[in-house]
Amino acid sequence: MKKVLAMVLAAMMLLGCVSFASAEGEKIKLNVWSFTNELQGMIEKYYLPDHPELEIDFQIYPTDGNAYTTKVDTTFGADATSADAPDIFTLEAAFVKHYVESDFTGDLKEVGFTDEELSEAFPVMAQIGQNAAGVQKGLSWQSTPGVLMYRASLAEKYLGITSPEEFQAKVADWDAFLETAHELKDASNGKCFMVVGSGDIWNAYQYQRSQGWVVDGKLVIDDELLDFEELCKELEQDDLTEKGGAWSEIWFAGMRGADEVLCYFLPTWGLHYTLKPHCAEGADAAGLTEEDIKALSDKTGGTYGDWRLVDGPVAYSWGGTWMAINAAKIATWDDATKAAIHDLIYNFSLNEDWLVQYAQDSGDFVGSAKAVETILNNGGTPNPFLGGQDHYAIFASAAALANGSLMSEYDDTINGLWNDYVTTPYTKGEVELDEALANFKTAVAAAITTITVE
Amino acid sequence: MQTQPAVKTKHKSVSYSKYGYIFVAPFFITFLIFQLYPIFFTFRTSLTDAVGWEKVLNNSIIGFDNFKQLFDPNSLVYGKFWGALGNTMIIWFFNFVPQLGLALILASWFTDSRLRLKAQGFFKVTIFMPNIITAATIGMLFMSFFAYPVGPVNTFIQTVGIANAPIEYFRSVEWSRGLISFIQWWMWCGNTMIIMIAGISGINPSLFEAALVDGCSSRQTFWKITLPLIKPILVYNLTTSLVGGLTMFDIPHMMTQGNPNETTNTVARFIYTQGFTGSRNFNMASAASVVLFGIIIVGSLIIRYVLNDHDPKPGKALKGGK
Repeated sequence: MKKVLAMVLAAMMLLGCVSFASAEGEKIKLNVWSFTNELQGMIEKYYLPDHPELEIDFQIYPTDGNAYTTKVDTTFGADATSADAPDIFTLEAAFVKHYVESDFTGDLKEVGFTDEELSEAFPVMAQIGQNAAGVQKGLSWQSTPGVLMYRASLAEKYLGITSPEEFQAKVADWDAFLETAHELKDASNGKCFMVVGSGDIWNAYQYQRSQGWVVDGKLVIDDELLDFEELCKELEQDDLTEKGGAWSEIWFAGMRGADEVLCYFLPTWGLHYTLKPHCAEGADAAGLTEEDIKALSDKTGGTYGDWRLVDGPVAYSWGGTWMAINAAKIATWDDATKAAIHDLIYNFSLNEDWLVQYAQDSGDFVGSAKAVETILNNGGTPNPFLGGQDHYAIFASAAALANGSLMSEYDDTINGLWNDYVTTPYTKGEVELDEALANFKTAVAAAITTITVE
Repeated sequence: MQTQPAVKTKHKSVSYSKYGYIFVAPFFITFLIFQLYPIFFTFRTSLTDAVGWEKVLNNSIIGFDNFKQLFDPNSLVYGKFWGALGNTMIIWFFNFVPQLGLALILASWFTDSRLRLKAQGFFKVTIFMPNIITAATIGMLFMSFFAYPVGPVNTFIQTVGIANAPIEYFRSVEWSRGLISFIQWWMWCGNTMIIMIAGISGINPSLFEAALVDGCSSRQTFWKITLPLIKPILVYNLTTSLVGGLTMFDIPHMMTQGNPNETTNTVARFIYTQGFTGSRNFNMASAASVVLFGIIIVGSLIIRYVLNDHDPKPGKALKGGK
């Protein structure tokens, strides 16, 4: 009897403590800005129920027409410590470098991140979230390694290849890739193409460089880029591609098997959100389940189950969303706020338990190397779309190898100019390489006045 | 002498003019905030070192350096800016000349009392229709029409045997410029026609009747009566078209992004790429906007001068009879 009484009393005291604490503790208010409702959805579903002490004000501005970056720039430019300014804000691949190089974003160690914690992230995503001095300012909750996706039936029909390992040997580097493209053309009488267009290769090939576009404030044209031009020119001139652009009608036609295209270079999100919804006519309709897509593909002669993943010639990354903190507000945060911010960012980028759970729920490829390892140890994720192949295993090796230190804040502009002034005119035989390079340099110098072009 | 009672002369008149001011106020307030202020801000920015968003509000005035660059043949932006102006003029010319010609012919047919065209409403609506679709949509439409290597036009010319291989239209200077001119022409012809019809309808019908009685041919009526009398409308049309043509942005931006090799890059696109790509050179973009503003003013004045001063105001003399 005494025991029971003691336990009841103890339980009451415990409850009393808890309720007393939550009644006394003031709510921690955070402003979180993003450009989609993805983070808000994750926080509201998985995080807020366990953290009643938080009160989060979400603001979402779309990236269309630079609305998000304009809002960030004008807010921070006017008064970064104002009540409206964000505490945490997200950055996407196109502009993450710009902001981690700026004074807007703060060192994550200021809110309590340790080197040990930061080392759990995939190096490529961590590198992109660092500034030139190596200060970690952004962490991504996904990582977006890219691989080569190919159609097993076409590989077998024209190249006699039956396993991904064999196919990887055929595309182990860019010379082998080009050779295979020739072999494919000969074997299929020009009916089957290696890729839709040479533009497909760029996202992967840029990771082949040994240095990024801008080094010490100077424009650098890496030698690998000149090899890239020769590769693209041969692909174009020898009719090894369909000469179509990415995201065009002809690009999707190859995905659903209407045209015979062997390879696509796509990252993690490309598998679920680009390739699968286009593996058959009408597969992109809303609300279709995995079974619906498979049935549709079987009925219309689509490509469900025909795709396989290999590492391809180079490990690369394409995309990602980073979480960063407002540098100007660090001084205004008390310890509890700092701890809350640390916990929130940690949970969504590095917390192994949560990431494993989230990966199972969503199929997303997460940003923590440790969590990915656990998922693989748990038996991985055999994928019927890939004929039972485990996409997590392939993505994990690409994620571990890609070199994120090549990215610079001017990539968006310079990549576009490189394509317009060098790749397109040169591969189509309109200009000589020297002239193309000269035009490119002039264009870069006119567009970016803050770097040196020689 | 009797004087009118004071009450009557002091009759309190109700002034309606204040309502007028209230009604126009929203426009002027919006204009001041969203037009006039940005214009002054642009003028100011063109004199500063505002490169990058950080410097939009915290910059310092450096004088006319940006303008010097635009006019210095050795600078990087010189070739790009004046090249873009040349492209814009070429595209505008091949859009405007056929547009004005066709609009005038159609307008004179629709207003000709001797022709009495049937189903006029249908034709007017059809010709005006492209103007109500947004330019971006039409740009996308033509992009898919002329897509390479597979698109409706390429499939068509190969099926009927005009060509053996698909043509890459947007890598050809002539095709790219031609298509942009064509779209502008196709979109704005109906609009110009409607304005011309309005102008011609405003001419006193007795003049046409007199011409008919005197035995004028249709051609004579057009050249000797219609054209001289719609000169003010022509001036209006030329001026608005010049402003629209020189600030052309959406169609080239949607369709070609200035390619191939900057031959369809317009001044407005030059300003956009300076201001909103790369290092965000707001100063240079503003300076180019100011120069463009100057060019448009000079162009408009030339049009006014050329069209108004050749003969001593025939329009006013004739209209005086009304």
